[in-house]
Amino acid sequence: MGALFRSEEVCLVQLFLQSGSAYNCVSELGELGLVEFRDLNTQVNSFQRKFISEVRRCEEMETTFAFLEQEIGRSLWPPLIGPLPVPSPAPFAPQPRELMAIEEESERLAWELREVSRNRDSLRSQLTLLSQYRGVLIQTHPLTASQAPPPPQSLETAALMDHRQDTRLCFVAGVVHPWKVPVFERLLWRACRGYIIVDFREMEQRLEVPETGEKVHWMVFLISFWGDQIGQKVKKICDCFHTHTFAYPEHTAEREEILIGLQNRIMDITTVLSQTEGYLQQLLARCVVALPRWKVSVAKCKAVQTVLNLCSPSVTDKCLIAEAWCPARKLLLLQSALIEGTRKSGSMVDSFYNRLPSPGSPPTLFTTNSFTSAFQSLVEAYGVAAYREINPAVFTIVTFPFLFAVMFGDVGHGLLMALAALWMIRQDTPKNIRSSNELWRLFYEGRFLILLMGLFSIYTGAIYNECFSKGLSLFPSGWHLQPMNWSDETLRGNQFLTLDPSVSGVFLGPYPFGIDPMWHLANNHLSFLNSYKMKMSVITGVLHMTFGVCLSFFNYSHRGQWSSVFLVLLPELLFLQSLFGYLLVLVVLKWLLFGPAASDTAPSILVHFINMFLMADSKDNTPLFSGQGQQHPLVTDTSSINTLHGDLERGEREEDEEVIEKFDAAEVFMEQAIHTIEFCLGCISNTASYLRLWALSLAHAQLSDVLWVMVMRISLSWQGMLGSVVLAVVFSLFALLTVSILLVMEGLSAFLHALRLHWVEFQHKFYSGTGYKLNPFSFSSIIDSL
Amino acid sequence: MSACPELNFNINHGYLEGLVRGLKAGILTGSDYQNLAQCDNLEDMKQHLQTTDYGSLLATDSDEDLTVCLVDQKLKENLVAHFYCLRANSLPPLSTFLDYITYSYMIDNVVLLITGALKRRDVAELLPRCHPLGAFDQMAAVGIACTPAELYSAILVDTPLAPYFQDAVSDANLDQMEAEILRNRLYKAYLESFHRFCKEIGGPTMDIMCPILEFEADRRAFLITVNSFGTELSGTERSSLFPSCGRLHPEGLRLLARAEDPEQVKAVADFYPDYKVIFDNQEARSKLKTLEDRFFEYEVKLNRLSFLQQFHFAVFYSYMRLKEQENRNIVWIAECITQGRKAKIDNYIPIF
Repeated sequence: MGALFRSEEVCLVQLFLQSGSAYNCVSELGELGLVEFRDLNTQVNSFQRKFISEVRRCEEMETTFAFLEQEIGRSLWPPLIGPLPVPSPAPFAPQPRELMAIEEESERLAWELREVSRNRDSLRSQLTLLSQYRGVLIQTHPLTASQAPPPPQSLETAALMDHRQDTRLCFVAGVVHPWKVPVFERLLWRACRGYIIVDFREMEQRLEVPETGEKVHWMVFLISFWGDQIGQKVKKICDCFHTHTFAYPEHTAEREEILIGLQNRIMDITTVLSQTEGYLQQLLARCVVALPRWKVSVAKCKAVQTVLNLCSPSVTDKCLIAEAWCPARKLLLLQSALIEGTRKSGSMVDSFYNRLPSPGSPPTLFTTNSFTSAFQSLVEAYGVAAYREINPAVFTIVTFPFLFAVMFGDVGHGLLMALAALWMIRQDTPKNIRSSNELWRLFYEGRFLILLMGLFSIYTGAIYNECFSKGLSLFPSGWHLQPMNWSDETLRGNQFLTLDPSVSGVFLGPYPFGIDPMWHLANNHLSFLNSYKMKMSVITGVLHMTFGVCLSFFNYSHRGQWSSVFLVLLPELLFLQSLFGYLLVLVVLKWLLFGPAASDTAPSILVHFINMFLMADSKDNTPLFSGQGQQHPLVTDTSSINTLHGDLERGEREEDEEVIEKFDAAEVFMEQAIHTIEFCLGCISNTASYLRLWALSLAHAQLSDVLWVMVMRISLSWQGMLGSVVLAVVFSLFALLTVSILLVMEGLSAFLHALRLHWVEFQHKFYSGTGYKLNPFSFSSIIDSL
Repeated sequence: MSACPELNFNINHGYLEGLVRGLKAGILTGSDYQNLAQCDNLEDMKQHLQTTDYGSLLATDSDEDLTVCLVDQKLKENLVAHFYCLRANSLPPLSTFLDYITYSYMIDNVVLLITGALKRRDVAELLPRCHPLGAFDQMAAVGIACTPAELYSAILVDTPLAPYFQDAVSDANLDQMEAEILRNRLYKAYLESFHRFCKEIGGPTMDIMCPILEFEADRRAFLITVNSFGTELSGTERSSLFPSCGRLHPEGLRLLARAEDPEQVKAVADFYPDYKVIFDNQEARSKLKTLEDRFFEYEVKLNRLSFLQQFHFAVFYSYMRLKEQENRNIVWIAECITQGRKAKIDNYIPIF
């Protein structure tokens, strides 16, 4: 609690790291995740710093690792499921010799891998090529078995055939990617003016495309033509479409011979390929084992070198000087880390630290646990607390679920919510914390918040006496029918009858806990609840705000601004209390003084309140208590005068205090005037803002009522077997709507409004939220991001 | 197109527009350039680019040394990958629009291959120099043609460029000059067709794309005129190359066709306030900046403006052009660094 009330004391320390042991010291600090280093070389470019070569070396190794990982992803069989495992325990930041070993080994592995996979790829492409050749020979066999006769020697062809003796039939055979077939065919036709015969056949087996690695049915083509010139054109076109053309002997016998040769070579290559593949898998298995540890080691080394880059070298170059923020109560831990670092590197001279006066405001640090972290992050979403400022998160733990529950009051819904939260708490595994599903992680991190919200909703639901919009009658109602002495005719003839509490025996005292279930039957149920909830939300709001204003005392007292206590805090408190505190007094008085008998003469608080401002007096509104008329001007005057004077005086007083700084009286005066006006107007609008408690709780109650009446009650009116079927169907619909609309949607909206009430109405009264978080140098965050 | 295309724009193109705006946010800013300009070698540059959206783009896994050529290639690959991602996810008419963007690269590739073939270079040697965005299947076969007519009827008739060839087909033998003229003819037809297409789409796409294309057309007209001084290209021939969709059309183009020296070109530009600024006080602003640089600057400005409006296609075009400009800038800085000419390093064209 103490740690959460104010942020921890953080001090600036100057670390003198001996150059021999600096690396080990920083790595020890990284393991602890203790301190935040400040950049002492802001004016030096990032690539001109002292240890940039080491950082680059680490980056080079990381590219090697990326290559290894890519190879694992590409070729490992069976493929790895999910990312590489995280090594546990994580290795320490490597010593220079270890780093060298990692570098050497990883590079050797990468080189070997590159060689082997290149070998394998070339073998594979050879195999593909040979299979294509075989496919070509097999597929074209029936085509060339009956050779076409030479074409008739007409005039046109004569022009094409320059060498008459060369008019024998020529073949070009090969394979082409199936997508390119139409364009290829058309271009051949156009360029050669039809003096060729092209045949396409699809290959039976699917073979790899070397560029992309996907498998397709290659198209085998056979082009038959006469003449040399056309031949050259055909060859050019074939080249341009990246076809694979093969030597195509004219005689069947030769082709058979080649086919047999091909079969043998394919067999050979397959054997070699399987051996290469085996070796490759061995290499990859070695990678999978070693890579995670290497990655962590090198990431740590790089992080340490980056930190060393932030340090400034001393004049003598014997040591490095670092500046860091460190929580004051962990200074001993810092000391021991430095000693440990020195011991590890076997250095003679100790590294040490000394405390510096902090130049500006130190960073904020709160130690949270899984329970408080959700509340802390709610507050920090608005703004990080300034150093040593009162932390609203402490109070938020109770007030947030409470305000939420005021809007969400329903025993049944609260119970469901609490159960859901309990289930999430039971799932407490590291897998959930690192889950990649952002939405789930969001809910999971707020599990304790949701639990509290659920529990509080059960409580407020019990007070509202609502469970899935139905009242629970745990105790006998305080209202009784008998004393009214209604005859049977009266009961039958009227739809609504009024129970008069002033008749003795009808109302025998209040219900033990919460709202009497009898009200659920009443016609004026809503107007009764509205009046009740509205007053209740104003009471809650004014108490909440008063509490906020009071909290600012701790901020002032901590900073020693006693003048502010008297000139700001007290006037503010007085203003708030004399207006809205007075309103509360009126509300409570009205509850106490006016029973059922006097209900006709009860005065309207609203009219009183407005009259107080207007300094008017209406005759038909009786005063709540005697002398109320004299009270009013007094209250208004004190409140306004006090506030104005107090705040303006503060402006004048500050003149004396802040002589050292450059001071502009007019500016401070203006600021205080604005602050005063803002506070006064803010009080009114903020009080009105708390009425959302009433509005949302009304909306929630009405929505669940509608859901019950429109959906669930229909099914309950059915009888017999059919009724049970209808009930099952309708109930599932009811359950679905309850969860999706009433729990999730309404829950989110109530959450949002509770958040707003905290941020704007509550925290504005005392919380500046202008700090920045301590971001300690820690290896665990680096490893998590790997 | 319905009456109000903005209403249902997001149904088909909203995702890609969001994507391209996100990519645009990754374009290097002035401070990035300042950092880059301070680098001493390419390794430093690599380090700096790692902090930008490029990430580990330049980190090579092999032992290759970083060269300017490699940088250029990697940047180009990156851009092409982005473009293909956009193209693969696009629906008509956006897909047609994106195809139009590739046609200009295709024209350049065809001309490059033709000139290469004239110089008897090997096609395999030329192919890597072609821009990958303008690649088409029959590209490598361009070399087998001898005349534009043959080129058209055999190869290009199947490509999207075919319609642009209808005016450009001639039976004259291809030579160096002819190839350049061919490029300009194709460009003229391409720009006019792209302009028409944007007009058909209408709405904000037309409002933004048309000025950009009009500027592009006028820039070509100016550059053709300036570059044709001292060659045997006559005025009428020249005027047949001017794209007619620009703002210079028709009056300015006629004047440009008659112009005979740079002074007269400047006089033509004086009639148009936007171009007057570009041609004005060339010496006063910076001696190092060429006319082309100033055209680029103006183009960057136009493209930057297109991001101010939503629900249109011009952002895709502008993104490509800005990214290209960025690549040129990075390559320029890299060249300056490797050649040790730090004085000229500030000659890049800042984008944001």
